[in-house]
Amino acid sequence: MKNLTFSEEHRHWLTKRRRSSALVWGLRIGLLVLLLLFWELSTRFGWADAFLVSSPSRMIATVGTLYREGTLFYHIGVTLLETVIGFAAAVILGCAAALLLWWSDLLRRVLEPYIVVLNALPKIALGPLIIIWCGTGSKAIVFMTVIVGIIIVIMQMLTAFLATDKNKLLLLRSMGANKFQILKKLIIPSSLASFFSMLKVAVGMSWIGSIMGEYIVSRAGLGYLIVYGGQVFKLDLVMTATVILCLLAAAMYFFVALLEKILVKNADS
Amino acid sequence: MKEKILTFDDVKLIYHTARGETVATEHLSFSVEEGEFVAIIGPSGCGKSTLLSLAAGLLSPSEGSVRCLGSIGYMLQRDELFLWRTIEKNIFLPLEIKKIGSEETRKRARELAIKYGLGDFLDSYPSQLSGGMRQRAALIRTLAAEPDVLLLDEPFSALDYQTRLNVTKDVSDIIRSEGKTALLITHDISEAISLADRVIVLTARPAHVAHTHILGFSETDPLRRRENQQFSGWFELLWKELNV
Ligand SMILES: Nc1ncnc2c1ncn2[C@@H]1O[C@H](COP(=O)(O)OP(=O)(O)OP(=O)(O)O)[C@@H](O)[C@H]1O
Ligand SMILES: [Mg+2]
Repeated sequence: MKNLTFSEEHRHWLTKRRRSSALVWGLRIGLLVLLLLFWELSTRFGWADAFLVSSPSRMIATVGTLYREGTLFYHIGVTLLETVIGFAAAVILGCAAALLLWWSDLLRRVLEPYIVVLNALPKIALGPLIIIWCGTGSKAIVFMTVIVGIIIVIMQMLTAFLATDKNKLLLLRSMGANKFQILKKLIIPSSLASFFSMLKVAVGMSWIGSIMGEYIVSRAGLGYLIVYGGQVFKLDLVMTATVILCLLAAAMYFFVALLEKILVKNADS
Repeated sequence: MKEKILTFDDVKLIYHTARGETVATEHLSFSVEEGEFVAIIGPSGCGKSTLLSLAAGLLSPSEGSVRCLGSIGYMLQRDELFLWRTIEKNIFLPLEIKKIGSEETRKRARELAIKYGLGDFLDSYPSQLSGGMRQRAALIRTLAAEPDVLLLDEPFSALDYQTRLNVTKDVSDIIRSEGKTALLITHDISEAISLADRVIVLTARPAHVAHTHILGFSETDPLRRRENQQFSGWFELLWKELNV
């Protein structure tokens, strides 16, 4: 199709580019396979103690056991739900707070130091308080997820709102725009790119929050499996839960990245 | 005599910052008649943009008064088109803001765009247009709400020379044929001479009027004016007045 009109040199360049990206993917996958293979073999040949480091085959067996016991999807579901609810709440509340701070200059100036301090505070220190306030169920974990994520949401969105082009603001004000119109027509649409880069950071934060929450309170979920596995020295369980966690976190990240691709592309192709 | 649509009367404006105060304009008085094209030149940083903000009512004077009898349309140095809106949506922006978007006003805005060569690009995004076309789109956006006075703040200075001459001609044609009053800020003397009916020269900060000249060209085409023998005479005079 289009290729036919390209020069010889350009087609050559395209082929080269395609090859080099194929090479990168090949190496990525090769590295993973090699790692798994080395892990498996080193436990088979007794270079490493499978009781301490587990192994791919033992992890698959563990997944099988969990599945047969009917708890695999239960634990995944619990953690996933807590994370997604906490993530959504942190994003929605954080954006609302950022809007409020953008709206009122006074409020922003008053609250600025508090936000800085809350950002610096290690949220795990609030563990005991959260248990007392929210009990030891999912509520506490969602709460933890929200407080871990929300500050970064507020800070990133506020920065984006405040970085709006001064001349575009001037233009709108010269048309007689009120604050609400400025917000709707300029501030929000021009912050879309920052919104997605914030979402990507918030994904990571909400996993930190939910697993941290499960460490301190829970009786179910992947974080609970990891803690429990550690306590009873079932490292197969610890490794399995960790790997599942990796896959879920990656899936959520790519989901956000996909959403960005669809929405941002439409916005300014 | 024609009506004075914009009047500055002994205007003083002070900017306040933590470091101190800056007097941007002082004893600034001039007026613009309806249908007139006035160019304002002045040394860099003398308070030209401030003057437009005052005219647009975005700043209120510390002393004196600014009176504008009509609605204004503001056009800036860069096109400031919103990248996430199509050209058509960009042009409709003032209609949305002023809440005067009707079938009729939208049709008129669309017709303006078609008349001035943007018809095929209404559904394009700004990034798909050349610099000159974007600036034309910005002018049509300014005109969409049918303002009585156009305030133009160095609207061509971000363009390269070739594009600039062409767009200057386009913009001049559009403003003349729509019969608008225009106040153009520029640091380019030849641009002022090729476009305006009258040129006002400002002093260094705090800005006030140093000289004002009625050019008296019979033609309005900026390219033809550049070939006119009076052109170099005006240029020399204004050059001297700017560099006292
Ligand atoms: N918001 C502001 N706060 C404080 N000082 C300002 C502000 N805006 C402008 N000034 C000062 O007022 C003076 C006039 O500024 P203005 O932008 O009107 O000049 P200008 O003639 O348009 O300059 P230029 O030729 O660079 O476009 C400058 O000295 C500038 O530093
Ligand atoms: Mg200026």
